[in-house]
Amino acid sequence: MKIKPTQQSCEVPYGGIRALDSKFKICSKKLTNFRICYKALMILAALALFASALLSGQEEITIRIKEGMPMIPVALPEFQFAETSLPNNEIKNMIYETLWKDLEFSRVFKLVPREHYSYISRFDPGAINFKDWASIQANILISGQLETTADERIIFSIKVYEVNSARFVFGRNFGGKKDLSRMIAHRVADEMMKHFGEKPLFTSKIVYVSETDAGQEVYIMDYDGFRPTRITFNNYIDILPSWSADSEKIIYTAYRRLNPDLYMFDIYSGKTEMLSAGGVNYAADWSPNAEQIVYTSSKDGNTEIYLRDMKTGQEKRLTFNPAIDTSPCWSPNGREIAFTSQRNGTPQIYVMDAEGSNIRRITTEGSYHDSAAWSPDGMRIAYVSRIEGRFDIYVYNLKSNSIIKLTENAGRNENPSWSPDARHLVFSSNRNGRYQLYLMDYDGRNVRQITSAGENKMPKWQKLYK
Amino acid sequence: MKKLVVLFVVLSFAILFNACGKKAAKVAPVREPVVEKVEEPVTQVEKPVLSEEEIYQQKTIEELNKDQILKKINFDFDRYQIREDMKPILQDNANWMLKFASVNVLIEGHCDERGTIEYNIALGEKRAEAAKNYLASLGAKVANIKIVSYGKSKPLVQGVDEATYFQNRRAEFVITKK
Repeated sequence: MKIKPTQQSCEVPYGGIRALDSKFKICSKKLTNFRICYKALMILAALALFASALLSGQEEITIRIKEGMPMIPVALPEFQFAETSLPNNEIKNMIYETLWKDLEFSRVFKLVPREHYSYISRFDPGAINFKDWASIQANILISGQLETTADERIIFSIKVYEVNSARFVFGRNFGGKKDLSRMIAHRVADEMMKHFGEKPLFTSKIVYVSETDAGQEVYIMDYDGFRPTRITFNNYIDILPSWSADSEKIIYTAYRRLNPDLYMFDIYSGKTEMLSAGGVNYAADWSPNAEQIVYTSSKDGNTEIYLRDMKTGQEKRLTFNPAIDTSPCWSPNGREIAFTSQRNGTPQIYVMDAEGSNIRRITTEGSYHDSAAWSPDGMRIAYVSRIEGRFDIYVYNLKSNSIIKLTENAGRNENPSWSPDARHLVFSSNRNGRYQLYLMDYDGRNVRQITSAGENKMPKWQKLYK
Repeated sequence: MKKLVVLFVVLSFAILFNACGKKAAKVAPVREPVVEKVEEPVTQVEKPVLSEEEIYQQKTIEELNKDQILKKINFDFDRYQIREDMKPILQDNANWMLKFASVNVLIEGHCDERGTIEYNIALGEKRAEAAKNYLASLGAKVANIKIVSYGKSKPLVQGVDEATYFQNRRAEFVITKK
């Protein structure tokens, strides 16, 4: 059997917040040509989309969700050290565990239980016995090798094999400072997703509000709750942060000057800009084409939904109703906006066209619904319902016109936000006392707590439109 | 001496019983000993009761707010309409604001925790707005009133019962300028 490796090398620069845009800023040297090609491709793709949109107004951009598709069984034998490497077991185990958890979380891959590995001969990356791995039902085998150097850097390499055909599928090398080991593991998981035609999400981030003794401040962390980074230091109440479409800015509401106004924080320059003045201003959501935001404001005397062009600053009021209109949220194709309105007496979820017309009601039962979140595949709207004093997360399926309840008998559950691949949700819950952030799948399964210090709420998952 | 008294009491009871015969026992009214009160002439040491004007002049804005010169009002669950029993409080607040027309007031709208973060901000705004409009209808100067909503982010008291929630569903009147 002949294996022809097609390895690519990548450098992971030192991160913190700057490592956010991992997808594009990592590998910057070697992939310059690729990036130009990529940009050209993107422009072509955008043109094609534009043309198709012109041809047919009904065309939808959809991401496949392979519901009911069998998950791909993956084996992940223990990683090896390179010959020249210092044996740093801590880093090796961290990358291993992080990658394992990512793949387990994906709902795309299924991991062959570790105890089954002992039934077969020991893994030897130089001479893989594929029949052995096939015998324990593995379809894909990931071989990992770690090299740690004296200058605190690591190089992590993977080789991915298809077990049944005994074929090398792809390989990657990732290099960086050792404190980026978790991120390197997430990159590997993302490469796996991409290779199997799925949207990467493991390097995506979550922005949220953390309440400590110092007050309510905005933070950004990895999707799995690790590496939190504080981004506001103003000692005001900061609430309801959300991502820009290009993931470079965060819009949030701060109670400066005794008034809740919208502020835009640029992650790369660190600059903050005030966007509004007068009345309450909150719940901003960025349009998928990155040109506009919708938000709630009472600047004209009543809480209404406004559309703001981010280039010109021009504003357009979308709702005209003496009742409360709030919590706007774009559909992923940018043509519709879901929102909450109390125009019929109680807060209900409505959908309108992005111009403010064609308003139709989505929720028909119950007396209290809010916090609509449209899934990135366009198929579902998650929202919060209060029934008999309980707050639970529900999902409305636009295709089947059905509603399912995702949380039950577990405290108050609020502020759902979808993962970029639409398979998962992050939300806040006080089920264990104080409000903390939790992840769960689109069907309510696999709930896991990702924060534990202080009180954490109002999560928004990065959108990754590009 | 004590013994004598006891004897006397017992004797007097015996006589009483004899006198009453078979009728139900009646307790003779006991005469309270007369105590003469000894009082020192009162010297006027209490603080003088300040008039509203004097309070206004002497106290800082912080002290006025701490003393809740303008009283807060509460709301019904999920509602922002002014309750009947809160109207007299608003009347008092309006009277005070009319008397000291130079004050600026910030009305803060608050909610209990049984609402979502986003909707509660809107609801708190509506509560503050309703209070402002009512004050305006009583003649208070609208230009001197600002409103803000904190939603459920600043509860007054912690707890999970209706009494707690009622206290948290409120509009507060904060003096910002004299």
